[in-house]
Amino acid sequence: MKKLKKINSQLTKKILIGDLFLIFFFIGLTVFLTLMLWNFPQGEYLKIQMGNKNIGTFSLNQNITKVIDGPIGKTEIIIDSGKVRVSKSPCTKKYCIHQGWINQLHQTIVCVPNKMSISIIGNQSEHDSLNY
Amino acid sequence: MTPSIIKINHQDHRVAKLAAIAIALSLIEFFFPSPIPGVKPGIANIIVLFTIIRFDFVTAVWVSVIRVFVVSIIVGTFLSPTFFLSLTGSLFSLIFLFIFKGLNNKYFSVISLSLIAAFAHIVGQFLIVRLWIIPHDGIFYLIPIFMISSLVFGLVNGIITQSLLKLNISK
Repeated sequence: MKKLKKINSQLTKKILIGDLFLIFFFIGLTVFLTLMLWNFPQGEYLKIQMGNKNIGTFSLNQNITKVIDGPIGKTEIIIDSGKVRVSKSPCTKKYCIHQGWINQLHQTIVCVPNKMSISIIGNQSEHDSLNY
Repeated sequence: MTPSIIKINHQDHRVAKLAAIAIALSLIEFFFPSPIPGVKPGIANIIVLFTIIRFDFVTAVWVSVIRVFVVSIIVGTFLSPTFFLSLTGSLFSLIFLFIFKGLNNKYFSVISLSLIAAFAHIVGQFLIVRLWIIPHDGIFYLIPIFMISSLVFGLVNGIITQSLLKLNISK
């Protein structure tokens, strides 16, 4: 009976101060963990390759258009302050153009007919294979 | 036929009734499709919380563990990874509820307990997933999704439990 009384007194208010405190604590924890864990690394450089020949590495922090000569024609690449896309390509399927903008570390666009590949790299050297 | 040697008392009946409700709720939840795999509302926790407040902690442990075992046998996941995930989540919830059930009644209501239980569930499941089922750091990218869902469902379950306790069911 004593216990029941305690429960009833507890139910006068719907949400108590402690509950609000705990809710905000958990919201804060969720936001903190989201920011910490969903912090995908941004790349800093663009590496352009033609076949197995390295054309060069360019900074992503600029607005330029690059035209590269390939076996079947010219491919145009646009670097726009942090993101990259292929804007013109002589290939037939245009997969490289449809891929759109890329801006994250290790993302890659490949144009197989023109033997061209561009990928975003960071400061550290990347792994070329992983074993589990 | 020999009469049953095990003496069945009032508390056994109570555990059976509460566990039956919890199992029914779990099964309803199982047959509802979930938008994100793995995210479940956990409505059976309402019964566990209700039991802790209205009756005692030992009854709640019985209800929770019986629910996990019976539901897994009915659904067919007994001794599979799903079963162990469910069991770890429930046990972590119970451990955290045992630690925090003495929270001040003046400032913390059952909503706090519900939130703590929901988060403990996630913590336990992530530990077992990381250590045993998928030993890869990639799963940590999923933490925010599960945190948000446990926050929302913990809150909702807590409010439901509160209104259930208000009804003053005495059995």
